[in-house]
Amino acid sequence: MLTYEPDDTFAHRLDPRTKLAVQIGFAATALAHPTPRALFVLSALAGLVMAGAGVSLRRTLVAYRFALLVLALAPVLSGVTLGAPWFDRAAATASGLASYRVLLVLLVSAAYVRSTPVRDSRAAIQRTIPGKPGQLLGIGVALVFRFLPVLRGDLRTIREAMAARLGTERGAVDRASTIGMLGLSRAFDRADRLSLALQARCFAWNPTLPPLAFSRADYPVLVVAVVLACSAFI
Amino acid sequence: MATNQTSVERVDDAVVRSFARAAVLAALMGAAAVVGSIPIPFSPIPVSLGVLVIYLMGLYLGPVWGPASAGLYLTAGAVGLPVFANGASGIGVLVGDSAGYLWSYPIAAALIGLIVHRGTALRDLRSVRLPILVGALLAGTIVIYAMGTAYMAWLLEMEAWEAIAAGALPFIPGELLKIAAAVAIVRAGRITSVRP
Repeated sequence: MLTYEPDDTFAHRLDPRTKLAVQIGFAATALAHPTPRALFVLSALAGLVMAGAGVSLRRTLVAYRFALLVLALAPVLSGVTLGAPWFDRAAATASGLASYRVLLVLLVSAAYVRSTPVRDSRAAIQRTIPGKPGQLLGIGVALVFRFLPVLRGDLRTIREAMAARLGTERGAVDRASTIGMLGLSRAFDRADRLSLALQARCFAWNPTLPPLAFSRADYPVLVVAVVLACSAFI
Repeated sequence: MATNQTSVERVDDAVVRSFARAAVLAALMGAAAVVGSIPIPFSPIPVSLGVLVIYLMGLYLGPVWGPASAGLYLTAGAVGLPVFANGASGIGVLVGDSAGYLWSYPIAAALIGLIVHRGTALRDLRSVRLPILVGALLAGTIVIYAMGTAYMAWLLEMEAWEAIAAGALPFIPGELLKIAAAVAIVRAGRITSVRP
């Protein structure tokens, strides 16, 4: 599974906003140019980005294996035709190139995930999106981060308890609604306790955040991001 | 470092309660995408309970906080929490092959909330008639699959029917099952939504 890993690579030292800009620029230009030449240049760039963040190609491919399945299936499905010549090579190639650019975008975003702690992403969100929506989004991301393992544990407990009581022998609708109802009522119990705790701790629209600052290394990378974004239009 | 001297601006109580529920449901969505899948007969793909949580967002959080919760889920995944299907994360997924489905979640939650609650104030779900409930969930499902397959067809340069064959048909039995499960949860009436 892809997560943040503490390290001292070039990407780890960059400001999270710079890295977000690079990803958006890369995705924009990759989606705009599904040509072999552009994809060759973008592949080299994606390789640089991954090296800069110390991302392992094999582990990333394993993490995205289900997306890769669809990406591999798409050219086959596009190529197969009913009737002669049964396989349309031009359609399969077009679809294959389109799939490959998606793979590149996924690899570049893996570099961000490995090199950026959630706390920094939260600060970036709150500083980039103005006003109360930005506040709620930032705090919400932090809360999702904290509650994800807890709720995963809840769901696992519910499933194990059902299995112990031969719940696995029941119909699919029954099982889905039991998991859904128990999961939801546990989640809402937690949410109500959380809101009480937030109110007790004076949950405010203007809390103090960790400082973010652009360093000297950020500026050239930001320029790359802008160039990438602009190259989507040529 | 500069000292922040502005006074504390408290968040309204109703907002805190709805917001906490939205955040926890977004986390539940992430947990369901990884843990909660059940095998169903006549389909090669096990049913992920993720979309069931989207239905519940629309039903229990309404047309304002439901999409907010789905938006939180997308943001959390974009910044690197392993909440997308099978523990994937990153902005790349939000433009990748399944991006159409993901972006449709807030819209589907809003649509379900609007149809069921007929406005932004939340109604008691037990008073909603069954055809309206089922209709709302069906409408939400259609939005999810229409956006999902349309984007997939555009992105991977496939024909419409190819995208539907790969991205919608195998999931229809599972979606019907989740609609039935959502209706059963609402009918059981054990969970109440935040109402002023």
